[in-house]
Amino acid sequence: MKIFILGKQSLVAIFANKGRSFLTVLGIVIGIGSVIALMSLGNGVKVYISNQIGSLGTTTLIVSNGGGLASAGQTGANSSSTSSGIGGSQSSQRSEMGGGSVSSLTTADFNLISDKTKNPDVSTVVGVVSGSGIYNDQRFSVTGANTAVFSVNSLSVDKGKLFSDADVTNKNKVAVVGSDAATNLFGSDNPLGKTLTLGTDSYTVIGVLAPAKANAFNDPNGLVYAPYSAVFSSLGTDRFSRFTVKAGSDSVVDQAKTEIENTLLASHGITNKKLADFSVSTSADLLSTVGNITGIMTALLSGIAAISLLVGGIGIMNIMLVSVTERTREIGLRKAVGAKTSDILIQFLIEALLLTLVGGILGIILGWVLGLIAGHFVGFSAVLTNSAIGLAVGISAAVGIIFGIYPAASAARLNPIDALRYE
Amino acid sequence: MAGIKDDVVIKLTNLGKIYKTGDEDTVALDDIGLTVRKNEFVAIMGPSGSGKSTLMHILGLLDVPTSGRYLLAGRDVSKLNKNQQAEIRNREIGFVFQQFNLLPRTTVLDNVLLPTIYSREKDARTRAEELIKKVGLGDRIKHKSNQLSGGQVQRVAVARALITNPSIILADEPTGNLDTKKSREIMKLFQEINEEGATIVLITHEENIAKFAKRIIKLEDGKIISDVEAK
Repeated sequence: MKIFILGKQSLVAIFANKGRSFLTVLGIVIGIGSVIALMSLGNGVKVYISNQIGSLGTTTLIVSNGGGLASAGQTGANSSSTSSGIGGSQSSQRSEMGGGSVSSLTTADFNLISDKTKNPDVSTVVGVVSGSGIYNDQRFSVTGANTAVFSVNSLSVDKGKLFSDADVTNKNKVAVVGSDAATNLFGSDNPLGKTLTLGTDSYTVIGVLAPAKANAFNDPNGLVYAPYSAVFSSLGTDRFSRFTVKAGSDSVVDQAKTEIENTLLASHGITNKKLADFSVSTSADLLSTVGNITGIMTALLSGIAAISLLVGGIGIMNIMLVSVTERTREIGLRKAVGAKTSDILIQFLIEALLLTLVGGILGIILGWVLGLIAGHFVGFSAVLTNSAIGLAVGISAAVGIIFGIYPAASAARLNPIDALRYE
Repeated sequence: MAGIKDDVVIKLTNLGKIYKTGDEDTVALDDIGLTVRKNEFVAIMGPSGSGKSTLMHILGLLDVPTSGRYLLAGRDVSKLNKNQQAEIRNREIGFVFQQFNLLPRTTVLDNVLLPTIYSREKDARTRAEELIKKVGLGDRIKHKSNQLSGGQVQRVAVARALITNPSIILADEPTGNLDTKKSREIMKLFQEINEEGATIVLITHEENIAKFAKRIIKLEDGKIISDVEAK
């Protein structure tokens, strides 16, 4: 009740100096506004990327070559030594296959993971070996894979036909081109029957894919697909770049991950999981990585924006000190009729808090509008979360208390006789 | 009738106040003895420098004496801390100052209710409205303090001084800023509330004002030089 009345009196005092109060609050409005704008843009980026990852499918696991930091360093060293001396397109094919080192993912691994009795939660396995070739001075990316690559990526044929399991078994040098790849390589010509060169081998185009939905990590329309067995022999390797694995359902993704890890550890004869020469990541892993990165970026930018809040807070402190001086006799009167030190302290703290909270609320609105405008130009929508609003309100309250406490304390300390006599 | 002892509102015994300014000691009050009983109307007079302001500050618990004892409503209040002083001021003393009596831009009603904010007193509103009517401002309850004349401001101050039903009303030069006619009206108001039971201590340097009181005490150089019934 007392707080309520003191709050009402604080409002009277704030409105008595409308112009001054507004200018003081402006500092907080700008500070909170920029924090909110950056946070909501950061959240917007996060949501955008999450949607992209979501389009991979939540049941997708990626098994890739290499383990932790140690193997990455080793990979880099090998890359420079192996690629020297091998000229032309072949060097880049090698380097694309697992970064120059020999991949640890073998055909035996592929068969083991595909074994339903050992890995009951794995539904489909796509073995992928990447390479590139040149056609009429244009470089194209080749994905050597088993036939499951089409079903897992929801690819369907537009002209001709897809390669078959028999093509894979017989290492037939046939290729199926994505819709964009077809246009880029052959223009308006009919791609069917054309020949693409990979290494020293010629591949016959037997099919063109219908346009498929792309995501941020994978554009299936720009690729050329061929049986992995044929690509192995053309590139002179017997190792996969990665496996794309579909788990049976959303709920068994983690079990599938464990099964694959155990299978591969046993197959590679590794007992210490930390020394694994492969890694298995799920959509959730990717999401959390992306979340970490965007979170750090957002926090960094918001932190910089928060510096303007500091300036705003100093403005609040300044104006509160002026207010205390101007109202010295009011403070004296209040003390004479029975206000305790704490009553005066609370009154001026409430006043500072009201100023910063009003600033905070206006700042949230400003930041939201700025986020909407900026989001409109950069092509994704800013997302204002409840936690960002809560944080903004919390910060403005904290600024009010931190920068209001000194003026409030100096008001509370005033001696009533001196305050009443103050001219 | 209550006994004589219960009747005493203020009792000062050997009260002294010394200000230290640098190496020099200034004696503001010297061995003051004073008793004020319930329902008295006392005027304390004296030229500037006589110590009447210091006495009023000590009586109002805005300052503490250097020596001696001050009993207010039977309680020794000479050595209280600041918060205890604030509580006693709130409950036992009603102040009317010469100027800056009211909060700016605040209604008459809220000004009269000001002491009750600090006393957690509930339902003081009805009493506040009665008091405002009593001081003759019943039609101005919702007026802001800056819409009032000097005389009206002092009337509101009197109403506020009465709101907590204090043991004593302390009026410090309440007519200092008013013309003769308004001064007389305010002093009549003090007489009126005195007749209704209020105990009043008035500080003034004007004979014309002091004569409204029932008892006149004169101070000089920090000492009481006369204490007589008013004619």
